Amino acid sequence: MQKDKIVAENVSMRFGDVLAIKDATCCIREREFVAIIGPSGCGKSTFLYVIAGFENISGGSITLDGKPIGGPGPDRGIVFQEFVLFPWRTVMENVTLGLDIKKVPSHEARRRAQKWISLAGLDGFENAYPSTLSGGMKQRVAIARALTYDPDVILLDEPFGALDVQTKNYMIQDLQNLWTEANKTIVMVTHSVSEAVLLADRVLIFSARPSSIIADIKIDLPHPRRSEDASVKSYESEVTRILSAEVDKSMSMERRAAA
Amino acid sequence: MTRASAAGLGANFFDRFMVPIISLSVPLLAWEILARAGILNDFLFPPPSSIFPHMWAKSGVDIKGGVLYSHVYYSMLRLLTGLGLATAVGTLIGILIGLTKWGRFLFKPLLSLFMPVPTLAWTPILLLLMGVDNKTTILIVFIAASFEIILNVVAGIENMNIKVFWVARSMGASPLQIFFKVIIPGILPYLITGVKLGSGYAWRALIAAEMLAASSYGLGFMIYEASEFMDMTTIYGGLAMIALLGYLIENVMMGAIERRTVEKWGVQVER
Repeated sequence: MQKDKIVAENVSMRFGDVLAIKDATCCIREREFVAIIGPSGCGKSTFLYVIAGFENISGGSITLDGKPIGGPGPDRGIVFQEFVLFPWRTVMENVTLGLDIKKVPSHEARRRAQKWISLAGLDGFENAYPSTLSGGMKQRVAIARALTYDPDVILLDEPFGALDVQTKNYMIQDLQNLWTEANKTIVMVTHSVSEAVLLADRVLIFSARPSSIIADIKIDLPHPRRSEDASVKSYESEVTRILSAEVDKSMSMERRAAA
Repeated sequence: MTRASAAGLGANFFDRFMVPIISLSVPLLAWEILARAGILNDFLFPPPSSIFPHMWAKSGVDIKGGVLYSHVYYSMLRLLTGLGLATAVGTLIGILIGLTKWGRFLFKPLLSLFMPVPTLAWTPILLLLMGVDNKTTILIVFIAASFEIILNVVAGIENMNIKVFWVARSMGASPLQIFFKVIIPGILPYLITGVKLGSGYAWRALIAAEMLAASSYGLGFMIYEASEFMDMTTIYGGLAMIALLGYLIENVMMGAIERRTVEKWGVQVER
C-alpha cells in the first residue's frame, strides 16, 4: 500500500452565499493517477485549486504529506486548460521557467528540460515562441513545463478541454508513456469520461453543487489502455451511469433556478 | 532567392520607402514651385530648398558657432530624461494601481482629478519653484507623458490572466521574481503603447514649455526667438527638425524595441 499523499476531510468551500463544496472527503495516495469528474459547475476545478493552494477552504481540512496546505508551492505543478504559457518566452524558456526560479544554472536547466521536451514530442520547437504553436503543442509545452521542475504532485485542470477531438484523442494516446515515466501523484479534473477511464488509476465522481464525492471507482487495468477495449468500455459505462444521474439532478436544479 | 520572395521584397520596399517619399515630396514640390513663381508670399513661405541650407548653416558642421546642435541637444535631453522618468514612475504607479488596493485608493482619485488639467497650466508653479531651468521643462515633459503610461500599464495588468501569476507562484517565485519575470514582460506591449502615446504628449508640452520657460536653448526656444526676428526660414526649419526627431523616436527607437519584443513574441495589443 502506498502512503497517503493528499488527504481531504470534510472540505467545504463557500463563495459568498454559494456553497460550492460540502463535506468532500478523499484520500489520494502517492504515485496514484486520480481523475476527478463531475457535472459542469460542480466545483471540481475549485477543489483542484484548493490542492494547489490558490484557494483557501472554508471548512474541514486538507493536507499534503500530513501538513495542512497553506498556499502554492513548488512541490505541486499545475497545467491549465488554457495552457497559460508565457508568450515572451520560447518553448525552452517556458519549460525551464521553474528551474530558473530555483536558480538552477542554465545549462543544467536546459539539459533537464530537454528530456521532457522530447517526451512531450516537442523536439525541434525549442526556440519557437508560443504564438506560433497550435493548441495541442501549447498544451505539450505546459505539461513539459510542469514536469521539468520535478514537483511531487501534478495537477491537471481539464488539460485536454481546449483541444479539438482529434488532437485530444491523439494526445491522450501519445502521452500515456509520459505519465508512466513521470511516476508522480497526478490529480486530473476532467468532464470527459473516456479521458478519465483511459488515464486514471481511480476516478472520483463529484456530485452537483454543493458537491461532495459520491463515488470512488478503481480502474483496474494495465497501461497503456486503448479506448476500443471492452474492459475500458465497461468502466466507461459504469462511470457514465453514476455521472448521468448527477447531471440530471444539476440540470433540473438549474431549470428550477431559471423558472 | 525565389522570384516570389523577390517580388515580395520589392512590394515591401515600395510600401516602406517609396510611398512616404512620394507623399512627402509632392506637396513640398508644389510649395517650391509656387514660392519660386511668386504665387506664394516668399517671406511667409520661403521655398523649402532655402530651408535646408539655412539649417545646415545653423548646424555648426561647417561654421563655428552653429547653434542648432545645442537646440537639438537640450530639447532631446529634456524630452528623453522626462520620458524616461515618466516611464519608470508611471510603470510603478500603474502596477500599484493594477495590483494593490491601497494603490488604487491612493492614486486613482488623483489621476482622475489631474488628468484633465493641461500640462502647461503647471508651468507658472514650476517656474516659481525652480526658475528658468532644465528641471522645469523636464518636469513638464514628465507630467505630460505620465498619464498615458500609467493608464496603459493599468490596462496591461487588467488584461493579464491571473493564472500566469498562479503558475509563477506554484513554482515558488519570490515577489521580486514575479515582478521581473511575469509583470514587466506581461505589461510590456501595453507599456510600449503608453510610451508611444506619452511621447506625443511630451513633445507638444516640451515645445510649448520651451517657448515659455527656456532661457537660451531648445527647439521651442529657437522657434520662439526666430518669430521675434521674423525669421521664417528658421521657424520652418525648427518644425522640420521636430517632425524628424519625433519620427526617429516613434519609429526608429520605439520600433527597434517593438521588433525585439512584442513583434518577436507575436503579441498584439488592440487599440
